[in-house]
Order: sequence, then C-alpha cells, then structure tokens
Amino acid sequence: MEETVQKRKGPFQASCFYLGEALCGIDINLVQEINKQIVYTAVPHAPDYVLGIMNLRGRIVTIVDFGKKLGLGCTKITDSTRIIIVNSKEEQIGLMVDRITDVVNGRWEDIAPPPANIKGIQGRFFLGVCKVKNRLVALLNVEEALADELVKA
Amino acid sequence: MTMLDDETLQMYVEEAKEHLESIESDLLAIEQMGEDIDEELVNKVFRAAHSIKGGAGFLGLNTIKELAHKIENVLDMMRNRELVPNPEIVNILLLAFDRLAELIDNVEESNDMDISEHVAALSAIASGGVPESKSEEAADKSDEAAVEMQDDNKIVVKNSQGQVVFEKELDLDQVTKGGKFLYLLELDLVKDVQEKNKQPYDVIKDIRSTGDVLDFKIDLEAIGSLEEDKFTKTIPLYFLYATIIEPDIINTLFDLPDEQVKVISGQDTPAASGTEQEVKEQIEAEKQEEQMQKIESEPKKEQVEEEKIVDISSSSQKQASKQVAPKPAAKKDTSDAKPKAAVKTSKHSTGVHAETLRVHVSLLENLMNLAGELVLSRNQLMQAIAQQNMHDIQAASQRIDLVTSELQEAIMLTRMQPIGNIFNKFPRVVRDLARDLGKEIELILEGKEVELDKTIIEGLSDPLTHLVRNSADHGIEPPEERIAKGKDPVGKIILKAYHASGQVNIEIKDDGRGMDAEAIARKAIEKGLVTEEQVRSMNEKEKLNLIFLPGLSTKEQVSDVSGRGVGMDVVKSNLDKLGGQIDIETELGKGTTIRIKLPLTLAIIPSLLISVGGERFAIPQVNVNELIEVPAAQVKERIEKVGDADVLILRGELIPLLSLAEVLGIERESKFESAEGEDTFSDKYRTDKGAVKVVIAQAGSFKYGLVVDELHDSVEIVVKPLGRHLKQCEGYAGATIMGDGRVALILDVVGLAKLAELSAVNVAEKEKTVEIEEGEEVHTLFLFNNAPGEACAVPLDLVARVELIKAEDIEEIGGKKVIKYRGGSLPVFALEEVANVEHLELQGDLVVIVFVMGGHEVGLLATPPVDAVETKVKIDVFSLKQPGIAGSTIINDKTTLIVDVYEFFETLNPDWFIERKEVAEEIKKEAGEKKVLLVEDSDFFRNQVKKFIEGEGYKVVAAEDGLVAWNYLNEHPDEISVVVTDIEMPNMDGFELTKLIKESPQFAHLPVIALTSLAGEEDIEKGKAVGIDDYQIKLDKEKLLQSIFNFLSKMQKQAA
Repeated sequence: MEETVQKRKGPFQASCFYLGEALCGIDINLVQEINKQIVYTAVPHAPDYVLGIMNLRGRIVTIVDFGKKLGLGCTKITDSTRIIIVNSKEEQIGLMVDRITDVVNGRWEDIAPPPANIKGIQGRFFLGVCKVKNRLVALLNVEEALADELVKA
Repeated sequence: MTMLDDETLQMYVEEAKEHLESIESDLLAIEQMGEDIDEELVNKVFRAAHSIKGGAGFLGLNTIKELAHKIENVLDMMRNRELVPNPEIVNILLLAFDRLAELIDNVEESNDMDISEHVAALSAIASGGVPESKSEEAADKSDEAAVEMQDDNKIVVKNSQGQVVFEKELDLDQVTKGGKFLYLLELDLVKDVQEKNKQPYDVIKDIRSTGDVLDFKIDLEAIGSLEEDKFTKTIPLYFLYATIIEPDIINTLFDLPDEQVKVISGQDTPAASGTEQEVKEQIEAEKQEEQMQKIESEPKKEQVEEEKIVDISSSSQKQASKQVAPKPAAKKDTSDAKPKAAVKTSKHSTGVHAETLRVHVSLLENLMNLAGELVLSRNQLMQAIAQQNMHDIQAASQRIDLVTSELQEAIMLTRMQPIGNIFNKFPRVVRDLARDLGKEIELILEGKEVELDKTIIEGLSDPLTHLVRNSADHGIEPPEERIAKGKDPVGKIILKAYHASGQVNIEIKDDGRGMDAEAIARKAIEKGLVTEEQVRSMNEKEKLNLIFLPGLSTKEQVSDVSGRGVGMDVVKSNLDKLGGQIDIETELGKGTTIRIKLPLTLAIIPSLLISVGGERFAIPQVNVNELIEVPAAQVKERIEKVGDADVLILRGELIPLLSLAEVLGIERESKFESAEGEDTFSDKYRTDKGAVKVVIAQAGSFKYGLVVDELHDSVEIVVKPLGRHLKQCEGYAGATIMGDGRVALILDVVGLAKLAELSAVNVAEKEKTVEIEEGEEVHTLFLFNNAPGEACAVPLDLVARVELIKAEDIEEIGGKKVIKYRGGSLPVFALEEVANVEHLELQGDLVVIVFVMGGHEVGLLATPPVDAVETKVKIDVFSLKQPGIAGSTIINDKTTLIVDVYEFFETLNPDWFIERKEVAEEIKKEAGEKKVLLVEDSDFFRNQVKKFIEGEGYKVVAAEDGLVAWNYLNEHPDEISVVVTDIEMPNMDGFELTKLIKESPQFAHLPVIALTSLAGEEDIEKGKAVGIDDYQIKLDKEKLLQSIFNFLSKMQKQAA
C-alpha cells in the first residue's frame, strides 16, 4: 500500500520523530502505541540492529534500533528515547527512536519524491518528503525498512 | 444458492461433524451383528443421518440433504428388518458417510459436488436388497415421484402408474424455499376418506393447516366405467402440496400408506447444473425402475432393454439396474474424475473458516467464574494499595495467585481433547485394510478418554495412522499363515493410551510376525544407509532403530497400503516435533509393541532457570539431564583439555563443555581470579567463587555440559515465539516472561551445540563406538607421541592433567628434569628413560602428561598432538612388552604402545614405593595367605590392578563381572577375604554384587572396596546404602592397597 504513495490521494497524518538529526515520520495508522518504558532483554547473536526483546503486556516484542536500521547511527538511550510499537505482518515490533515530536497533517498529493539519498537513509526505505511548517519530514516505508534484512540473513 | 447465515452454517457444520464422528464405529458394530441387529444402534445412526438431513434442508444444502436422505432410507429399511446389514451394504453406507463428511467439510461448495454414485448405490440397495413382495412399496417409499422439469419452469408430475397427473408452470425453487418439501398426495376418496369416517372438507382443512396446497385434481379416468372389467372402486384425489414436514413423518400426519405420499424432489434452481443433472438422473432411474418391472414380466426382452438403459443413462444407473448391490469403491476410479477436482478446489476455499474448538459449557462457566474472581481480587488489591494496608495487599495478592493458577489450569483444560478423537478412526482404517489385504484383524482400543493438548492430538494423527497401518500390513499375518503358526487366525492390534509419570504413553501392540532386527540391518546395509561394520557393533535395539532411517522399508513387496520406504522416519520426525519419544519392542513371530511417550502439553513447559552475566535463560527441563557443581578444589581434576576441546569427567564419561557466556558472547560479570596467580584453561569456566556450575544438557542422543554462572529454580514457563527478525538466531527456542515481567530467552540445546560447532555427528559417532555389544571391551585411551611418529597411549583414567609447555621451561636440576608448575616443581620424565623407545628431542612445544603416583605428581614428556579416543581394541600384551610398556594395540591404523605407568614410575623412583612395600610385608605377616576377589570388566584394568595387588603378595582371583564373582564366591565360600569391585559392569554391576554379598549371612562380613574412575557424591551415597565399605579411585594404587590392608588387619583383630 505504501509503495503506491504517488497514487494515493487525500489527507494523511504522520507521527514524527527524530532519528539523530533527521526528522522522520511514519503513517499514523501503522502506530499502535508509543512506549516510554525501555526495559528489554538483549538477544545474543541477533542482528546488530535488534536491541532485544521486551514484554508488552504478555507479548514478546522485538525492539529495533531504528536509527541503526536505517543507517543513521545508533540511538542513544536518553530521557526522550521512545519506543514506537508498530504492527507489521501480524507482529508487533518496537522501533526505538531518539525523540518523539508531533503528529503532522499533510496530503498525499503534496509529497515530493525522495531525493536519491538523504543523510544516509537508503532510498527504498523512503516514501517521500513532505514539507510541514517549514520543516522537511522524511516519510518512511516501515514495511520495507523492517522486511529488508530478512532476506540477507 | 441461497445466501447462508455464516453463524448458523458454522453451527450446523459442527453439529453434523459431531453426528458423523460416532457413525463409523456404530456402523461397524452393526456390520458385526449382522442379522441380529441392535435397533437402538441403528436408530442412533438413523437419527444422526436424519439430523444432518434436516439441517441441510433448512439451510438449502440440497446435495447433503439428498445424500443423507438416501442413507436414511437404507437405515430405515434396516431398522424395519427389511434389509440385513451385510459387509457390502455397510461398505456402501460407510462410503456414503465418507462422502457426506466430505460435503460437510466443504459445505459452501457442497451443492456443486457429485454424489450420483452414492445415490445410485444406495438406491440400488433400497430397491434391490429387499424381497420381491415388498419391492414396490420400498421403492415408492424411498424414491420420489416422477417429476420432469422443463425449460420454462414447467413441471410434469406423474403418479405411481406413470400417468401424468399435473402439468404445471411452477418455480420449484420458489416453492421449496426455506426447507419445504413438495409432495404428491394420492388420496382415495373411498378408502382414505369415506372408509375412515372423514369428510373431504376435513381432509382438505387438515392438509391446508400444515402446508400449502398448490394444486388439486380428481382423477376421474382412474375410476373406470361400469362397462370395463377393471373397475377399481377408487376415486383418486391428487394434491400437489408444499410443506416443511419431512418425508419420513408425513405419512403419520395423513395416516396414509407410504406409496400414496411421494416427495417431489429437485428443489434446485436450474442454474445449479450438477444437481439438476441429478434430478434428471433420478428421473431416469425412476423410469428405469418402472421399466425394470416391465422387464421382469418379459424376461426375453431383458437383454435388449438393459442395453438401452445403458445408452441413455450414466454408469451409475447401470448399477441400479442390477439387483445386486454394487461396489462403488471399485468404480470410483472410472467415474469420479470430475468430483475429485471439485474437492480440491473446495478444500482450498475452506481455509477461510476460523478454527474452532468445542468446549464443555461447564468449563466455560468455570472460566467465567474465575475471571470474576480475578476482577474482584484486583479491586481488593487496588483498594489495599490505595490504603497502604500491607496485610490486605498480601491477602489480595495471595488470592490473585490462587485464582491465576486455577485460571491457567482451566484454560489449559480447554485445549485438552480426548485421544479418542483420533483413536475412533482406526476401527475403520483397520477394517478397510483387513478387507483389502484379506486378513482378519481385531482392533482393541483402550484409554480413549486420555486427554492431550489439541496441538499434540492434531500432530499425532498421521504418525499413529502410519503405525497402525504398518501393524496391520506388515505385522499381522494372513489367516492361513497364522493358523500354520498355531495362532488365532484373527490377528489382534491393541491401541492403548495411558498416563504414566506425567506423560501420556501410547502403545500400538500387535500379535503379528514381529520385526526381524537382522533383516532390517541387512536392508539398511543393502541400501547403503549404514556400513556392515557399524551394524556389527550394534545391539538388537539399535538395529531395530535403523527402521527410523529415511529410505528404509522392509516389506519385500511394496503394497499400496504401506511399504513405500517413507514413513517410519517421518513418524519419528513428527513425534520429535511434538517432543515425543518412540520405542520399539519386538519378538520375532510373537508380535511388536511400539510405545510412544508424549508430553501432556506443549504450551507450558517446566524449565530450569539459569543465568550468565546477569541475563537469565530458561532451559526446558526435558533437555536437562543433571546439574553438576564442581567444587573449586576439584576443578583441576575434573575439567580436562582433550585436544582442543574441554571436557568434564563425569563418572568416567567425558562430557564436552561449553561455556554459555562464550557461546553467546556475553561478558561475565565476575571473573575468577586465580589465587595462585596462574591461569589455567579451566579458569574461564569458574564462577567468582572458583566452582564450576554445569548443566548437563541432553539433546537427542548426545550430551554436553553447559557452563553457567548461576543455577536458579525450576519454573513452569509459557513459551512465546520470537519475532521474525530473530528467526535466524540459532540457539533459542523462544522467549518467556518471568515473574518480574522481564523477558528471558529459552535456550535450544541443539541449536547451542550447533553454534558452538559441537558437531552432533561426531558425538553420535562417538556414541556408537561407546555402545558396543556386551562382552567386548572399551578403552578410553589418551593418545600422544613419544618421539614424532611414535604413537603411545595411556588409559585416560590415569591421566590427571595435561600441560602444554615449551622445551625451554624444562630445567635440569640434580640430574633430574623439572618444570615450574603451580608454584612448585614437577618432576618430568621421558619415556626413553625406562623403555627402549626412540629419543625424544627436548625442543619446541611439548606436552606434559601429569599423573598422580603414590601421592606425588609426576609428568611424562610427550610430543603433541594429543587426543583422547574411546575405542574398542584388543591389547597385545606379548609382542612389544618391555619395561614401562604394557603392550601394544592398533589405533587409527597405527601400532600404538600402551605405557604401563605404574611400572614406568616405579622403575624410575623405587623409593616412592618403599613405604608401601613395608606395609605389604606387614600385611603378609598378619593376614597370611588371603585372597582378594577382583571384579573388573575391563581386561586392561583387571590385569593392571591384579598385577599390582599381586605385587603386594596377595593372591588375586579375577572375575569379569558381578555374576562371575558371585558364582565364584558361592563355589569357594572360604577362600576370599576381601572383594575389590568395579561399579559399572555388564550383567551384574558393583552395586548389585555388593548388595548380594551384604545380604547373604555367609558373606556379609566381607569388606567390599569399590573401584571407580571417579566417585560422584550420588554414587557414594548409593554405594553406602548397599553396603560398600570403601571407595577407591582406580588409579590410586597406594590408597587401594592401604585400604585392603586396613580391612584385612581389622578382620585379623576381630578374629583374634
């Protein structure tokens, strides 16, 4: 569904967050919740971008360092660090981000195709760029970003 | 097709399935009883078919209804004793029920599925299987009135004489909507109205009160005229009548003979082509029956007529035209190509239906109740917390604890299903097989009520079917063969389930020909699955287990039942997946018992919690063999390096060691600081207190030791799957949530071994060489080279440690070579100093093999590489015997010298042994000529130990095992003064021998000294319990001799 962004019409909402210096956003419909509690169990031998697993009300959720996954550098755990729980392929995955900002409104029509490379984010993780209140928000393709490494592994 | 209410449909399907479940066994019972039918049983099946039909009618599932109806007819005849159930009839019924089950499984497509074959077969029974006189009635009763449907929704209804009664424009589908039936009522104004004291008006009113009269006609022609002879004295009234009342009860409503009430079928829309065709076929069949009756009166024409019939109708009608019941099974292949395809597609689409589970209402109520309790307790807890009332908080949490465990139990119960669910299909399987194979087999089911987790039940179905089929096909012999063998011609298969030690056991037991281990082994060799060599070292059980190898089938001829060469390996792998174990017991000619052990449930597993570097992990209890804590003081003795692998010596067994921290790459929190300031390889395993904690993990056939930081409790954990990003991580079986809400990983012991490159293959091979046949001898030898290329070996049990040193580390002091070792100096010797062997150049890397001799540590210099092998060899004690060399053997195609360590060091340092010599003299004086009974299974050790006891001046009687020793004792009761025995021995082990000695009044006074490679706490406990007086380690010569001396002198004193 996200691949066809250029064909999508109408308004959308994106949940925005910082990965390092980059302001990114994902479709709010994908977000289940945003979690402040960061307690996880490391999994030895896991891919380097997987921080570990946590207990989300009885479910085991894989925590992914989203910055690292996208090639934007490791996320440092601070007071503002959050975990965004997204639903992906009938599984819940926690994305660790540096800081949550706000929810922006935009229209699919206004999204500009992404430049070839923005601050190391690989193009295929990218839906496009959208300008909101003088800020550029990079809209991410969550499925693509989470599916990728599986094949390689 | 009518739009169906999903929920109603689902309910119907489930109910129908429930009805069908028991039918099979009931039918088989009916078949067994034959003429002597149990009406109750037939009624039960009848009711089942009836309910299915009723529901199908309501839901517009016409094909199902049709088939159920036909079945019902046959059953009804059976019930009325018009039909004797014989195997043919029951077979047809079974097949029809199978088809019915198929239809119900694919309920959405059922209306398009073909049932003509079954309908024809059933109709044939109904019409053909009954006596002539009743045939007309039966046919009328079971078959519908002739109805022809024409293109423009016009129907033509004929009466029993084939005359056209109604010709009417009517949308049948419209009329029969909502499960209505269309009937043709044939009332006789004289017989049915007047003679029964009714008024025509009442009759019509009656009829109208229960349904709609669509048309009505008086057949004046049938009355005939006075001039004609065939004045019938009847005035037929015909009603075309639609009602929801079902055909089997409609007669009672009107009090009419069966032949006067006819169902007009074909409620389908013309669009449903399959059914339309069927309607036509029925019509054809109808006509045909009419024709048949004609034919019977005109036998000459029969041949011609029948050919005609064949021309105009499909093959199913051909069946109907024969008076004998057909065998649909045989013809399935020819006529069923199309329906098969239909089934395929429909199966595909049924995947949409969510899986459902039938749960007893009382269980649900219990759950509700518990959920209510949980909510109440939560409220109490919250209130208590708000008030900071510790006492109440405690009370509430206790309550929550109780309720939760109860809740968990109750929920687990909902997943439990009786194993009867799968057992019940076997009577049919076995019956069909027995028929196909021409065997007589009786199947006995036991323990159907035993409950197992749903997932296990599901996974068990295929392997069990396979095993039962195997028993029937390969196991049970044909009747002639059985009679020839003097067995009951009826073979017996017992399928039994029972609980034992927290597991469910399932046994498949037959009294057939049994399995020939040799034949299996031969086959395995033939197929190149194992080598002859491997087979030779196998025992009976291992040979039998070869059957689980992929690609092995022992039946000479491949039958379509089983014997395709796949199967047993699949059975095993399926059972492995369920965490089950399989075991074969067989006696040639007597039968086979296959035993399967299964866990009750997979969702919750008892596990051991351990931790490494502050992280907790769970290991499933089934994989935990034992827990060992090696005390700090023993670490050096018990953890050894063999080659580049670290091993733990456990009761003489070498167990490869894995550090969990190392495998997982976890930094350990507290490292052991060697007090002596010197690191040895084993230090990395130690905890900060210096001890080593090991979980002996069992993965299938191989074992290894997992070194951990901390051993915690055993807990029951709920297994949760890991996310997809972690799927490629080997070593984990999932994750679980601990009491504190944190997550712990569940370790997969097999995966861990893979990670650590502990090759299962190697271990398995090793395992094979260990498990040798009884009577042969295994040596665990430590291999090293003296000079390069000169292979030498010592028994591993004698080796205390191995150190790698550099030649420069050797110092020569006072003519003796020493190395600095653990803060002291260790005297080292080269083999050439005693034995006539090649010169060992002291340069480069060397190995020092450390022995403990007479309380001293001494080292033997050797050249790497070193290795440990467990091997079955014969030691030649003559050819190469010389001082310091006990003999030779061939290991890895090389002649290897076996070093006699005692002799070697005694020659070198006679002074170390002087003290003992004196002692020996003393013993000799005091004890006189007393004999020592030495019991030891290893030839090598027996000779070694015998030699050194004899060296002390005792007489030694040697025995290979406990049994031999015991017999000797009994034959020579006064000869023996002390018994020295090994623990692990074939036939009778040391414990048993000691027990016998201590229990017999004649020998109870004899001291028993147990010799072991290493005495574990457990063994010592056990030994004490049976009366072992002392434990000595095999290699500690002096202590053993001291012990013998002590006991003998004590006895001397007592005697004096």
